Amino acid sequence: MRKIFFILSILVLSAVSLQAQNEPASLGFTPSSYYTFSWNTTFTMGDFNKWVGNASPAGFDLGGRYFINGGLAAGFNISWQRVSQIYQNETYTIPDKGIAITADNYRFTWMVPFQGVIAYHFMQDKMVSPYLGLGIGGDYMEHHLLIQEYDIYKTRWDFSLTPEVGALIKFGNFSSWGGLVAFNYKWTTNKIELYQTTSKNLQMLNLKVGLVLIVR
Amino acid sequence: MKTKLMLLLMGAGLILASCTKYPPSSDRLLEDLAVITQYDTKADFNSYKTYSLAPSITKVTDKDTTVMTGPTADAVLAQIDKDMQARGFVKVATTAKPDLGIEVVYYQNTTVYTYYYDYWGWYYPYYPYYPVYYSSYTTGLANIELIDLKTATTDRAYIRWNAYIRGLLTGSHTTAEITAKVDQAFIQTPQLVTTAK
Repeated sequence: MRKIFFILSILVLSAVSLQAQNEPASLGFTPSSYYTFSWNTTFTMGDFNKWVGNASPAGFDLGGRYFINGGLAAGFNISWQRVSQIYQNETYTIPDKGIAITADNYRFTWMVPFQGVIAYHFMQDKMVSPYLGLGIGGDYMEHHLLIQEYDIYKTRWDFSLTPEVGALIKFGNFSSWGGLVAFNYKWTTNKIELYQTTSKNLQMLNLKVGLVLIVR
Repeated sequence: MKTKLMLLLMGAGLILASCTKYPPSSDRLLEDLAVITQYDTKADFNSYKTYSLAPSITKVTDKDTTVMTGPTADAVLAQIDKDMQARGFVKVATTAKPDLGIEVVYYQNTTVYTYYYDYWGWYYPYYPYYPVYYSSYTTGLANIELIDLKTATTDRAYIRWNAYIRGLLTGSHTTAEITAKVDQAFIQTPQLVTTAK
């Protein structure tokens, strides 16, 4: 999955770069703000992999950016994401109570990130506008362990940082619509303490592909 | 422009509303067998040597209580014997005053809500009867109980170990799969072993 992620990254960046070279045309207007709605694929990293190691396409992201000075924009991001994995025939023990449970189990984390974002667009008025951004905010996460109909879970709030690189690709000189491709790395203070697993400072990579509504 | 923005937000809202945090129920392994065991952490299993095993499995449904027979029931009892003897216990007749008594109760199509104290109330007819109270369940559950007969009195006995195997004998699992789960119940309780002479 990681390989697919990196191959996709290279392909998308190449395509963006080629389009930037071939279509240097400017927009017929200067954007004042834009809104994004994107599909979000999550790749868990580090300690998070001890809980769920699968990449997950179950996620989306809603964002808004407002240009405040040249290519500098500020805004927000709200997301919904779920990562999950099935583990076969695992044994969970509670030694001090003499309990052991062996079962297939389903682990998942459901998260709702919300962040303030600041981003710099290098070619704000061009057809392709790459940007660098940083999101700062928090997440609400629920970590669930499902064994048959039992649902053992913990909820946690956290602080998170998300550096992001991406590009807006406008659909036409005067079109209000465009596409979005972005990658981000997310670091959080969230942790999981379930199923004899402790995972701290949960981290993940996200690939976002979506639509942009550009406001003049 | 405001209309487009509203449409975008409405679309996003619809997708948001259609998503749930839980994975599909078809993925949630509800019908898989689970093995849950608990042993008395204060028990010294080296103080026990002999055991007797109830010759049949009691089957409890929401309509009646019967005796379960057939190759699967026989295989379950044989597996219990095999595991107990592999852990150093010696099987004896009920009349030989065994240290431990084992019985298996199978609850079918009943939801078992167990609440029990660490003692029980009466004998049935030769073996201690576990005071399980239950309501309806949707899947089967087998309960294997290891009862301390050395300390049992006429009005109480201690459960030193029990195992729940959920989904057992529902017809969707082979006898081999079921006996493997019985074996798993012992595997996940390495404390259940004796070196008593």
